[in-house]
Amino acid sequence: MLPNRSKTSVLVFLLPPLLLYCAAVLFPILQSLFLSFFSWNGISEMEFVGFANYVRMLTADDIFWRSFFNALLYLAICLVLQLGGALVVASLLTSLRRGRELIKTLYLLPAVISTVAIAFLFVPIYSIEPVGLLNQLLHWIGLGNLERAWLSDVNTVLAAVSAPEGWRFTGLYMLIIYAALIAVPKELEEAAVLDGASKWTLFTKIRFPYIRPVWITTTIMATTYGLRGFDIPYLMTNGGPGQSSELLTTYMYKTAFTSTDFGYASTISVFIVIECLVAVGLILFLLKRKADA
Amino acid sequence: MILQSAPAAPPTTAPPAPTFKRRRRKPTLHRTLSRVLIMLIVIVQVYPLAWLFLTSLRTEQDFATGDPFALPSSLTWENYARAFETGDLWRNILNSFIVTMGANILIVLLGMMAAYAIQVLGFRWSRFVRGLFLIGIIVPVQIALVPLFIDYASINLLDTYLSMIIPLAGFALPMSIYLFSSFFEYIPRETYEAASLDGAGPYRIFGLITLPLSVNTVVTVVLVNSIFIWNDFIFANTFVLSEELKTIPLGLQNYIGAMGKVDWTATFAAVCVTITPLLLVFLVLNKAMIQGLESGATKG
Repeated sequence: MLPNRSKTSVLVFLLPPLLLYCAAVLFPILQSLFLSFFSWNGISEMEFVGFANYVRMLTADDIFWRSFFNALLYLAICLVLQLGGALVVASLLTSLRRGRELIKTLYLLPAVISTVAIAFLFVPIYSIEPVGLLNQLLHWIGLGNLERAWLSDVNTVLAAVSAPEGWRFTGLYMLIIYAALIAVPKELEEAAVLDGASKWTLFTKIRFPYIRPVWITTTIMATTYGLRGFDIPYLMTNGGPGQSSELLTTYMYKTAFTSTDFGYASTISVFIVIECLVAVGLILFLLKRKADA
Repeated sequence: MILQSAPAAPPTTAPPAPTFKRRRRKPTLHRTLSRVLIMLIVIVQVYPLAWLFLTSLRTEQDFATGDPFALPSSLTWENYARAFETGDLWRNILNSFIVTMGANILIVLLGMMAAYAIQVLGFRWSRFVRGLFLIGIIVPVQIALVPLFIDYASINLLDTYLSMIIPLAGFALPMSIYLFSSFFEYIPRETYEAASLDGAGPYRIFGLITLPLSVNTVVTVVLVNSIFIWNDFIFANTFVLSEELKTIPLGLQNYIGAMGKVDWTATFAAVCVTITPLLLVFLVLNKAMIQGLESGATKG
C-alpha cells in the first residue's frame, strides 16, 4: 500500500472503472437473472411466472436440447482444431531452426479477420454450384463421392460451421503454447535425451507436465470462447437447415430479437452462463487433479 | 511438483558441442516430415485468404464457371468499383475507427486506474474487487444483450456509438486490468516510497511514475483489443440500426442482396478493402502483437 494515500484517492481511481464494469457486465447479469422469472415481450406488462421458464426450457423444449447438444459438438470440433492443432504446430515449430517468426505470423493471420468476412469466405468454399474449393479438392484426391453442398446437408452443416471457428483461432492458441514450450529448460530436455528418452517420452514426461499451467489456461480460454460461439453459425446458416446447426447462443438470440420473448431468452442466457461456469470448474478439477496425482 | 524435478537436471555447464552433434545425427526423415507437415498446415491457414484476394480480381463469369483453384483468366478491378458503389465502405471504416478508438481509450485509461487502485494503492476489499472483475473474463457476452437492449431503449441510447463502446469496453476491462496489474507488480516499491517521501501524493505518482512507465503495456492492450473490437459483430448487430452508424462487419452484410443472392466477386473485393487496415497494422506490428497475445495468457 502506498504510504500517504487517502480513501478518496482510492475511490477516485476505482470508481470510474467499476461503474463502467457494473453498467456493462455485472448489472446486466443480475438483470438477466431477474428477467428469467418473467414473461415479457417488451411491450405488454411484465408478468411474473416463477420457475415456469426454467421448467419449459428443461422439460418441454426440444429445440433447446437440440441446440445444447449441437453446441457441445461445436465445442468439441473447435477444441480439437484449436488445442490439438495448436499443440502439434507448436511442437513442430520448436524443432524448426529457421523461419519460426514467419510461420507464427502466417499461422495467426486468420485471427485478424472479422467473422463476417470469414463467413463470406467459407460459404463459397463449401458450395457445390459453382464448385467450391473443398469439393474441388475432394474431387482431385479421388473422394468425389463425398462432394456435396456442405451447408445444406443436415449431416454435415454443424461440422461445416464449426470448422471456420476452429480455423480462425488455432494460431492464437499455438502462440501461447509455443511460448510455453520454448520456456521449458533445455537442460531438462537434454538430460532426458541423454538418458535415452524417445521423442514421445520427452513430450509426455518432460514437456507437457512443464507447460500444464499454460495448457489449463488455454483450455479454459478455448472452452469459454467455444461455448459463446455465435457469429459464424448465425451468419452462415442462421441455425438451419431446420435446427441442424442451431447453437444455444443463436437460439437465445432468435428467441430474444426475432420472437421478442425477452423472459425466455434470459432464461437461456442464464443457462449459458451456468454452463460456462460448470465447464471452467470441470476443467480446473480434472486437469489440476491429474497434476497432483 | 514440476519445479521439483528441475534440480535433477545436470548443471547448465554442459558444453554446446554434443547438442550440435546430436542434432546432426537425427534422422532426416523425421525432420523432412515435420517440415512438410508445417508447410501443409500453413497452406491451410493462408491459402483461403490468398484465394479471397485472387477471387476479388476475377471476372464474375470466371468465378461462376471456372475451376476455383485456377489463377484468374484475366485480372480486373471492376469488382472494387462495384464494391464501392454497393456499400458505403468509407463510412463503415470510419465508424469502425471511431468505435475502436473510443473503446480503447476507455479500456486503457480505466484499466490502468483500476489496476493502480488494486495493485498499488491497495485497500481492504481489493481481493473481492479483483474477483468481481474476474467474472467478466469467464461470462459470455451474450448474457448482456437482452438487458442492455432494454436499458438502452429506456434511456434512448440505442443506435449510438456509445451503445457499442460501453459493452465492448466493459467486457475487455478485466483482461486490461489483469495485464496492467501484472506489469505494476514489476515496478519496485522503493520507487513509490521515494516519491512519497518527496511529498508526491497518489495522483502525482500515477501521472509521473506509473503512467509513463506503462507505455509498452498500453501498446499491448490496445493491439490485442483492437482485433476484437474492430471485428465485433454481435453488439453492433444488436444495438445499431441506422446505415450511418454501421461498422465494417455490418456494412459487409449489405452485400447480401434480395433473396440471398450475392455478388460474390464484388463482396470479396469489399472484404479485401475492409480487412486491409487491420491486416497492415498486424503485419507491421506483428512482433509487438504476438508478444501481447502470448503475455495475455502466460503471465498468470
